Amino acid sequence: MKPRDLVPFLATACLALPAAAHEVTSEVVRDRAVAVRALAHDGAALADVTAEVFSPSSDAIPSWRGRTDRNGWIAFVPDAPGRWRVRVVDATGHGIVTPVDVPAPGAAATSPAGAPAPSAMAMLVRPLIGVALVAAIFGALHLRGRRTGR
Amino acid sequence: MHVPDGFLSPQITVPAWIAAAPLWTWAARRNFGASSTESLPVVGSLTALAFVVQGIMIPVPGGTSAHLTGMAILAILYNPGVAFVCESLVLLLQALFSGAGGFTVLGVNALAMGLLGPGAAWLAWRALRGLSGRVAAFAAAYAGMQVATGAVALVLGLQHRLSPAYMPVPLEVTAVATMVPSLTVLGVVEGLYTVATLALLRRARLLDAR
Repeated sequence: MKPRDLVPFLATACLALPAAAHEVTSEVVRDRAVAVRALAHDGAALADVTAEVFSPSSDAIPSWRGRTDRNGWIAFVPDAPGRWRVRVVDATGHGIVTPVDVPAPGAAATSPAGAPAPSAMAMLVRPLIGVALVAAIFGALHLRGRRTGR
Repeated sequence: MHVPDGFLSPQITVPAWIAAAPLWTWAARRNFGASSTESLPVVGSLTALAFVVQGIMIPVPGGTSAHLTGMAILAILYNPGVAFVCESLVLLLQALFSGAGGFTVLGVNALAMGLLGPGAAWLAWRALRGLSGRVAAFAAAYAGMQVATGAVALVLGLQHRLSPAYMPVPLEVTAVATMVPSLTVLGVVEGLYTVATLALLRRARLLDAR
């Protein structure tokens, strides 16, 4: 084969180069995303509700916007250290703003990434604490009223 | 129904606190003085009950959940001022111990759920009580729930207009998502709760003839 016979093949290959601009590649990297789960105060997941992530450098414009999945999770990949905020809200106004501390590369995390979900015991105890406090407040008011009324 | 902390800007929370603070003082002095001692056990019991029912989530259409307020009965039996103080106490305890609502939004939640809702219930009760006690109690609780829910929806919608960074969901969506469950489910359940609780209190002879 003479060198000039290669010209058509090289020309074709050169024409194919622009096609690479349409190529999409991907990489799978583990342990980089932060996952946050939104739960109602009865422990039920806030599924398919609006979620926004704010970077430490912007309080007004979200760096990510989407919806929670069916189990109430969202995940994002922080690209800077600092305090990120995750805002989750449903159409009725139920929601939460969760701070997420992202350490600088190589630095050990100095605080937990977020608050853990309350336990079933906590869910049970909370109403009892509330009822006990209401009873204590009204009991004290009643006793004070009876003493001053005598 | 509670608006959580972080979803309303100071443009709304500060005026709400300024409006609520003197009303708390006035209502507490007027309704919880020495002359109210005999009613305090019933008022306290209904407040504790309201704390419990506000923690019970009722699944509603749309995949979310909602809850009763239990405040219409206090407005009917006493007056909206009593309901306002008691609901504010419930909201404060929920903010401190349950993670529902919050301290910065306490004024907004108290005005909506503790004053406007019970106020509407009290007006409806006074207008209808000549017809039938049960019907009037049911209608009053139903009306109170709609007004409280509508007020919360309007505040959230107003916040979206002022700054979507605080509340990303617009009023058109919020109004439908809150009012449809309120009109179809919550108002009815609040009405039944009010009628049943009134009947229990009467049966236990804990009320004078009202």
